[in-house]
Amino acid sequence: MDLHILDHRLRVTSISKTGLEHYTHPLIKLIFLRNRTRCKFFSLTETPENYTVVLDEEGFKELQPSEHLLVEGSIWLPLNVVSNGNASSSSQAVGVTKIAKSVIAPLAEQHVSVFMLSTYQTDFILVREKDLSVVVETLEEEFNIFREEGGESVPVQSQDTWKGLQRNGREVMQVTVHPVLIPENQFCVMSLDPDTLPAIATTLIDVLFYSNSPGEGASVNQDLECIKFFSFTLIDGYVSLVMDTEAQRQFPADLLFTSSSGELWRMVRIGGQPLGFDECGIVAQISQPLADSDISAYYISTFSFDHALVPEEDIVSVTEMLQAQRKDVPH
Amino acid sequence: MFCGYKPDILWSPHHADRYVICDTELSLYRIGPAGSSESKAGALAISEETAATLLAINSDTPYMKCVAWYPKHEPECLLAVGQANGRVVLTSLGQSHNSKCKELVGKEFVPKHARQCNTLAWNPVDSNWLAAGLDKHRADFSVLIWDISSKFSPEAVPTEKLRLSGDTDSGLVVTKPLYELGQNDACLSLCWLPRDHQKLLLAGMHRNLAIFDLRNTSQKTFVNTKAIQGVTVDPHFQDRVASFFEGQVAIWDLRKFEKPVFTLTEQPKPLIKVAWCPTRMGLLATLTRDSNIIRLYDMQHTPMPFGDEGEPTIIERGVQPCSESIISSLAWHPSAQNRMVVVSPNRVMNDFTVFERISLAWSSTTSLMWACGRHLYECAEDAGPGAAAVEKDIATKMRERAQSRYGHDTVQVWRNHMLAGGDDPQLRSICLTGSCFHKYTENMEQKQQVNKQSLIYSGIKNIAKTSSGTTETRRCWSGSDRQTDVPRYHSEERSLALQLCGWISQGPDIDVEPFLKTLEQEGEWERAAAVALFNLDIRRAIQILNKGASSEKGDLNLNVVAMALSGYTDEKNSLWREMCSSLRLQLKKPYLCIMFAFLTSEPGTYDGVLYEGRVAVRDRVAFACMFLNDAQLPRYVDKLTNEMKEAGNLEGILLTGLTKDGVDLMESYVDRTGDVQTASFCMLKGSSGEVLKDPRVQCWIENYRNLLDAWRFWHKRAEFDIHRSKLDPSSKPLAQVFVSCNFCGKSISYSCSAMPHQGRGFSQYGVSGSPTKSKVTSCPGCRKPLPRCALCLMNMGTPVSSCPGMERCYEKADLTRDKKLAQFNNWFTWCHNCRHGGHAGHMLSWFRDHSECPVSACTCKCMQLDTTGNLVPSDSV
Repeated sequence: MDLHILDHRLRVTSISKTGLEHYTHPLIKLIFLRNRTRCKFFSLTETPENYTVVLDEEGFKELQPSEHLLVEGSIWLPLNVVSNGNASSSSQAVGVTKIAKSVIAPLAEQHVSVFMLSTYQTDFILVREKDLSVVVETLEEEFNIFREEGGESVPVQSQDTWKGLQRNGREVMQVTVHPVLIPENQFCVMSLDPDTLPAIATTLIDVLFYSNSPGEGASVNQDLECIKFFSFTLIDGYVSLVMDTEAQRQFPADLLFTSSSGELWRMVRIGGQPLGFDECGIVAQISQPLADSDISAYYISTFSFDHALVPEEDIVSVTEMLQAQRKDVPH
Repeated sequence: MFCGYKPDILWSPHHADRYVICDTELSLYRIGPAGSSESKAGALAISEETAATLLAINSDTPYMKCVAWYPKHEPECLLAVGQANGRVVLTSLGQSHNSKCKELVGKEFVPKHARQCNTLAWNPVDSNWLAAGLDKHRADFSVLIWDISSKFSPEAVPTEKLRLSGDTDSGLVVTKPLYELGQNDACLSLCWLPRDHQKLLLAGMHRNLAIFDLRNTSQKTFVNTKAIQGVTVDPHFQDRVASFFEGQVAIWDLRKFEKPVFTLTEQPKPLIKVAWCPTRMGLLATLTRDSNIIRLYDMQHTPMPFGDEGEPTIIERGVQPCSESIISSLAWHPSAQNRMVVVSPNRVMNDFTVFERISLAWSSTTSLMWACGRHLYECAEDAGPGAAAVEKDIATKMRERAQSRYGHDTVQVWRNHMLAGGDDPQLRSICLTGSCFHKYTENMEQKQQVNKQSLIYSGIKNIAKTSSGTTETRRCWSGSDRQTDVPRYHSEERSLALQLCGWISQGPDIDVEPFLKTLEQEGEWERAAAVALFNLDIRRAIQILNKGASSEKGDLNLNVVAMALSGYTDEKNSLWREMCSSLRLQLKKPYLCIMFAFLTSEPGTYDGVLYEGRVAVRDRVAFACMFLNDAQLPRYVDKLTNEMKEAGNLEGILLTGLTKDGVDLMESYVDRTGDVQTASFCMLKGSSGEVLKDPRVQCWIENYRNLLDAWRFWHKRAEFDIHRSKLDPSSKPLAQVFVSCNFCGKSISYSCSAMPHQGRGFSQYGVSGSPTKSKVTSCPGCRKPLPRCALCLMNMGTPVSSCPGMERCYEKADLTRDKKLAQFNNWFTWCHNCRHGGHAGHMLSWFRDHSECPVSACTCKCMQLDTTGNLVPSDSV
């Protein structure tokens, strides 16, 4: 297995719901006018709390600082696991599940905080730049690590100074089990030919920026039976969309790609209180049991909470599993 | 591989006149001669000679991303279209729906997870197999190999879930691929390897090229690289692959897959198409975005596999098929040489043939060859009738002369002129001059008059200058009592000059009669008459002319001239004089002309004779030596010398001698003719070291030696070198190669050189001398034995035995040549690679029948390593 440290330096930001109007211009530019920006990594996720925007430094320049923009202070680097073409014969599960044991768990043990971002195409594991050497040291046994620089993949060796047992320096924190929320709505993960982006522009703008306008879904959103969740990523020219079936109905059917089986996903939202960025092991908490049961999952971290998407047909077992976990760990 | 809106071109694999333009729809065109009866009104002219006719349009497949044409004859015009959602649809163009095609057209191959199809490739052998390269999906493979003959979809897909399918006729939808490759990655381009149709070369997003073998998909060879777009195999060299990334093309050798064998110069704009020419070895066309220039890279002479050392020889050039419009794609014609069709973004097509570079080569044997495309032209000197009029090239002449040993006759130097063919007056003159110089030198040597020897070679110019003690005589016309007032001058130097001119023979005798006899024998009647006249023997002159007129092939006009001559009168104002001086100019024969010029001119002013350019220089100089006084003579000689020098006339060597002046003269001769051969031979004789050290002379000599090498006249070259080292001892090369003893490291050349002198016969073979004598089979330094010959297993130094039956032959016909060969047979020789060797004779005969080293278990192909070993000299010993 290869682990690629991609050539993006990312910032994790959040735009408050009320402040969105100040940022519509840069966001539209980043989404639709690819030729006008040098941003190569852009992710916008709408949650009921806020809009989480993850973007590279080129894109970050477009966002004017204001009271509505919260910025996590670190530079994050995306990691990407490449299976090296060897078909994972044992497991059909993909996404965060596949890397739970090899990446997520070891990093959690080393107290490296991770920020997950799954897309239609792949899964990105974002780590802080300052944690990189710990990451390399932790994962180099399992992976061939490459750092992509200017289009070349350069093999990375951990520096010998890190070979010691120096840990991340953080104190071992009590593992807290966060409450989970399982909303009712069904999600689909889709993609799109970037060339046809203009064709869905109006729908996309409507869904992204006018979701709070009073409409049919407004009352449903209130009771948390369903939650508003919409994610758009445009990374290296690849578009990925995560939306609920209701939103999906607004898009022309022949332009969005998805699996031919038309699979649908249910969401598990992790965290009762905003999780912050320092706590480790949150992803591991979810991915570990999913990996044990060989259940595929998408995992999208946002500024406040983490979101796992699991196949519709597996939601019952996942719910049971999570409940069992809560019982095991005493509060 | 192309953006959905920019047109691309595909040639039909089997119909050389059909191609498809694909942008938002597929359009089939037929290409034909422009203006022919066949072409209809709708034909578009796409070049001066050709026009394209639109045959069919297919717009059934929206969101086209890539197209691939079915490679087999039947069904023809079957196309696979890869769509933006990853589906691959089979479609057809301009077909009357025949049964086979009908079954396939409309068939769809649907991946599990929809994403863009980037590339398609039909398997060249198993033409049912279609490889599709798709974008990345986190849970799916990026390369799907479909079997187009799959009848139905094994997993029945619920119709309502086929959201994206336009028609839901599930009988035509295939969802189960034959093979899936490349998880977690996008496939940007792929191609089947023609060497092994089960192998597939993929270029993935994660910056790698990978070769998969379908028989074992878990194994692959891969290499990390940026160049992951547009992988394409050289159709002429199946291990050579080109791929590109942005502006850079990398060329790979699949046998050395670790890194590109080389990359081409980076283009400022991103590339959009890279295509090997199917009709020409190693020609790659590349096209960048928004450009109207196609860059061509000729790798014909790039060795494959290309080593690490040195720069590859790639010839790059740009062609501009249409002057203004930018090109959006190109396609090579599958069979017409170097032809391509290019298309602009607004679908303007252009039929274009790349003009082949012309490469030209001279052979050392004067033939000129040039190649253009598949044509090879030879331009050889025409030896047929009518060719005689055209003068042969100097290289041909020199080669012929070298073959007839021109220059090698050092005893009878004048004969070299005959060896050279005997038809060049310049060479005749130089040979005569050389001959004179040579003869006199020999005599001088006998008389030990060394100072004069150097004088000889310094030419008449210097002789004339040193002339002193001149006496003046006035003689009567011999055979007539008429007094003349023609003064004639004598001195030692003047008679030396006359001797050099060949008028009088050596010694104190100044009689020209022998010279006249020679001239008569050669039939040079006019010249003989003139010489006789200049020696004031008018009667003899008339006699010669008479003889000439009556001889075989004689010119009867000579009698008339004789009559005119007999009427000579020294009356200043006679009619004879008047008429002669005016009419002589109309005489065609120069010697007759100067005879009358002499008779009609005033004493001391002989311009009519001296500046008659058609008369041989030697005769004019001899004349001047007789009739010009000490003041006039050097002036005249100087003037003539300069004239000769300027003209590069070899006759002038008589004047200049082999001095620096002579080199100047020779320089202008070589400049004029390129004849380094004559220059080399001539200047070698100049004994003064100064002349030989002249860089020009060295240059001629080296060039001549190179020429001999190029002609493979190695024996002639050796003879020349021997000849040269005799005349110029400084040119003798020092021994450069020594054979050193394995044990003591000292040179064993003592024993080598000693060997031939011992005069060992073949009968002595086996009794290698008495023990008291120093053994030639051992090192003279340490007495340890020399290595053994790999064939006869005798220690080196032992004379070679030839076949026992041959011995007697040698004894009988003891030719020097055989002896020489026998000596060479004893030489040491060894392979620089495997270090095995033995007697040269044995080795030569071994490698006549074998290619491998004679030492058992050594597989060194020694003889093939020797690039010159297989060349045969083209001259004989």
